[in-house]
Amino acid sequence: MTPILEARGLVQQYATGRSLFGKPPSMRAVDGVDLAVREGEILGIVGESGSGKSTLGRMLLGLETPFAGEVRWRGQPMPAPRTDMWRRLRAQMQLIFQDPLAALDRRMTIAAQIAEPLEIHGLMKGAEAAERVAELMARVGLRPDQADRYPHELSGGQRQRVVISRALAMRPKFLVCDEPVSALDVSIQAQVVNLLRDLQEQEGLTMVFISHDLKVVHNICNRVAVMYLGRVVEEGPSGEVFGDPRHPYTRALVSSIPKAGRGLTDRIILQGEPPNPAMRPPGCAFHPRCAIADAACAGEIPELSGHRGRLTACLKQRAIIPATAA
Amino acid sequence: MAFVSIRDLKVSFDGVQVLHGIGLDIGRGEAVGLVGESGCGKSVTWLAALSLLPAKARISGSVRIDGQELIGAPGPEIEKVRGARIAMIFQDPSSSLNPVQRVGKQIMESLRLHRGLKGAMARTEAIRLMNMVGIPSAETRVDLYPHEFSGGQCQRIMIAMALAGQPDLLIADEPTTALDATIQAQILDLLSTIRRETGMAMVFISHDLGAVSAVCDRAAVMYAGKIVESNEITALFAAPRHPYTVGLLDAIPELDVTRARLQPIKGTVPDPKYLPTGCAFAPRCTHATDFCTTDQPELKRQPDSGLLACFHPAGRYKTETLTRREELV
Amino acid sequence: MLNFILSRMARAVMTLVMVMSFAFIVMRLSGDPATILLGPDAPQDAIDAFRARWGLDDPLWKQYLAYIAQIFTFDFGISMRDQMPALDIVLERIPATLAITLPAMILKLGIGIPAGVYAALHRESIADRGVITLSIFGFTIPSFVLALVLVLIFSVQLGWLPSGGQDSWQHAILPIVTLSVGGIGIMARFSRSAMIEVLGQPYIRTAMAKGLSWRDVVWKHALPNASVPIVTLVGFMVGALIAGAAVVESIFSWPGVGRLIVSSVANRDLAVVQCLLLVIASSMVAANLLVDIAYGLLDPRLRSKRSAH
Ligand SMILES: Nc1ncnc2c1ncn2[C@@H]1O[C@H](COP(=O)(O)OP(=O)(O)OP(=O)(O)O)[C@@H](O)[C@H]1O
Ligand SMILES: Nc1ncnc2c1ncn2[C@@H]1O[C@H](COP(=O)(O)OP(=O)(O)OP(=O)(O)O)[C@@H](O)[C@H]1O
Ligand SMILES: [Mg+2]
Ligand SMILES: [Mg+2]
Repeated sequence: MTPILEARGLVQQYATGRSLFGKPPSMRAVDGVDLAVREGEILGIVGESGSGKSTLGRMLLGLETPFAGEVRWRGQPMPAPRTDMWRRLRAQMQLIFQDPLAALDRRMTIAAQIAEPLEIHGLMKGAEAAERVAELMARVGLRPDQADRYPHELSGGQRQRVVISRALAMRPKFLVCDEPVSALDVSIQAQVVNLLRDLQEQEGLTMVFISHDLKVVHNICNRVAVMYLGRVVEEGPSGEVFGDPRHPYTRALVSSIPKAGRGLTDRIILQGEPPNPAMRPPGCAFHPRCAIADAACAGEIPELSGHRGRLTACLKQRAIIPATAA
Repeated sequence: MAFVSIRDLKVSFDGVQVLHGIGLDIGRGEAVGLVGESGCGKSVTWLAALSLLPAKARISGSVRIDGQELIGAPGPEIEKVRGARIAMIFQDPSSSLNPVQRVGKQIMESLRLHRGLKGAMARTEAIRLMNMVGIPSAETRVDLYPHEFSGGQCQRIMIAMALAGQPDLLIADEPTTALDATIQAQILDLLSTIRRETGMAMVFISHDLGAVSAVCDRAAVMYAGKIVESNEITALFAAPRHPYTVGLLDAIPELDVTRARLQPIKGTVPDPKYLPTGCAFAPRCTHATDFCTTDQPELKRQPDSGLLACFHPAGRYKTETLTRREELV
Repeated sequence: MLNFILSRMARAVMTLVMVMSFAFIVMRLSGDPATILLGPDAPQDAIDAFRARWGLDDPLWKQYLAYIAQIFTFDFGISMRDQMPALDIVLERIPATLAITLPAMILKLGIGIPAGVYAALHRESIADRGVITLSIFGFTIPSFVLALVLVLIFSVQLGWLPSGGQDSWQHAILPIVTLSVGGIGIMARFSRSAMIEVLGQPYIRTAMAKGLSWRDVVWKHALPNASVPIVTLVGFMVGALIAGAAVVESIFSWPGVGRLIVSSVANRDLAVVQCLLLVIASSMVAANLLVDIAYGLLDPRLRSKRSAH
């Protein structure tokens, strides 16, 4: 089966610092990512803050042009930005954003914002649109009386629900959700997660789900990719990746999940400097903080490849005794 | 006497009351969690305490810090409290930083204000703070603007800014939502260390009950503008009494292998404009009786420990659920 | 930053060439200068001589090329009417115009922005309502009406100020006031809404929560953010410094650029009109360029687009 969306060798770099003349120094936020999203699945992307997850998400949607590499939609290269084809494709692909306040227009009522995509694409008007807006609001758990509110009059979680219902207005095929539930309380989070799963099951929606909340990722995602410093270091079915993390970074990540009723115990505390994309360590980017790294790790960048039926980018894979070691 | 004490705090917007008499004490050096569904008034409580709400908000009640009343206090007096005694980390990190000012400058502003640091000294300290909250190569990034940082980095810059004033009380409103698990753990660690070293008290507002239980001594559960239960952290998680608290705990996804559907609390938070006459949670509550729909339970001290506002509290947590929870933790 | 400025400058030159080409087409197609200048009854040989003298017999494309070449060498030819270099005629008028538009500009900014900001900071107070009412009055009243009212009061009734001419500084007062009233109103209204927008932003709350005094919150956080939209409007106003006073100059018989526009257009004095157009267009384009650069300086988000490529 061809994947619905495929990324090949995606690289993005940004200028860091500034210089008035000449070329400012640059760093790679995303550094060679290959990814395939299969039709109807939810692919989770987790990883350290600043590891390039949002940047990758924006490139997958064609909101940002990659510095190198390409994104293919149903086997075809993405049409050039701002062409008709691109616009038609964009309507099927929606982004749900990390900071809901920044994604909303503070001068428009939320009903107007949810109706906006319908009107822009000339799909519905008047009473029909109002009905659809009411339906969308109900679907994400917003009350009808909130339709005439402005974003700043809502709580953080309520705002995020507005963003989600607006993204759903166009009945998209593909969603990139960038931290869609991190501003939501556990109960609404459960509703939204169930809602996204319903959309996946009933409407065959494909999703890339970027989140820090590993418990949620584990619950909602079929597969998960773990990023570290702009690269995917581990990929696999979410149950396996969380149940038996192989890459040392994934192990640290899984062990730091805070658990209700218990303090910060039993976790692998990462030592050393937090990762810095402007000064990528040579070899495996994780080796300075890795407990099992040796000299070889500093010399060679490990490729994401199959080890014992799973994809990891770690030279020490063969040496690790399976499971329980963490 | 408590370091900060809130009594009967009420807030309304355009005639709609959203806080219905909050009472909360924070001791010196204590860490208190504030949890509850979205829109129940967690942020508004502290925005009201620091007079940061828009002018249309009507506020009554009392918030005292070391006996000094803050509600209705003149501007300059509140300015002396803000940032220096009570600092606040806000919920929406990327829009809470000034987009046209370098982040270093925004941190240095706090340093100048509260610690009298200027020039190179302030800059060095700002870099130290940024390093402390885990911004890589802070020396080269102090002079960048907020849009050049990721969401989680903005959040950490907010934290650095709040810590810059060495406050006695830190209000952390969802401080780790945009952070991944390892950095979150690191920040929670950092906050705990700072508390140990400086005796800073902390109010930790979060949806993440796991994070709350990791850093707090005590937690209060809010629903529809009221505190409905509060207790020591271990007791609250081991034996939640209010059906709402039980619902919150049940909604947390579990890290077991099956992709079970999550269990949200049924129904939605009531519109503050049309609150039910009795217990605000009654329409969603499985324990509710007729009595609950007509009478409002008061927040009462419980015989063993904690405070509770419920006529029909959940008994000891059912063993079956308890074992499931044990697995989860 | 340098790249940014260079690209904006290239765009500015393109804009100018387009404006001037458009001007050429309109001027040549809208009537024969010979008949207009010499009168409809002029003898045919006089008309022919005139046409030959000004190159009006050449094919249009030839005229166009010559015209563009002239522009790039700042040679606009001789005024058909005054027989003086067109550029001199235009430049001579500029100081007079600036003498009233610059002070008016200073009033617009100096009164409009503070009034608008004050109103935003004291929203719904009496002062705020006052500012709103006055500014609506300011930008709705047509300048010729205002001019007549001012002349009636201060020249005719009170006899304090002269009603026309350019002999002393007192002569400039009424034109300056007339010119600035509308701009002050617009500026105040605009600054008020820009400021209100910014004051509602979450980062203002952050600044307050830091413990900054309200003064510092306003000066260090609110105003720098509000200045971004305000600069746009200032840019428009700067662009109108040279050409925006035609009506007022005519009413007060002020010998500035505005009156020159009116007379040279009426006379089909091609060289002067072309020169005027270029000067005016240049001033507007330059104002735009300044606005763009100011944007870059004021708002880092616009400056640092992805530039590592
Ligand atoms: N416009 C930009 N200009 C310069 N650097 C940028 C820009 N956008 C992102 N970056 C940098 O690129 C890196 C990756 O950013 P990105 O937002 O993709 O991270 P992320 O994985 O989404 O992090 P988080 O989990 O904190 O949201 C970060 O180091 C960030 O500072
Ligand atoms: N400026 C405002 N104007 C009108 N209503 C407001 C305003 N700010 C907050 N509210 C209302 O007050 C109530 C409490 O909001 P608050 O932001 O305290 O919720 P919260 O508990 O912090 O929720 P979240 O966890 O989603 O941040 C909500 O119903 C919200 O709609
Ligand atoms: Mg991100
Ligand atoms: Mg909140």
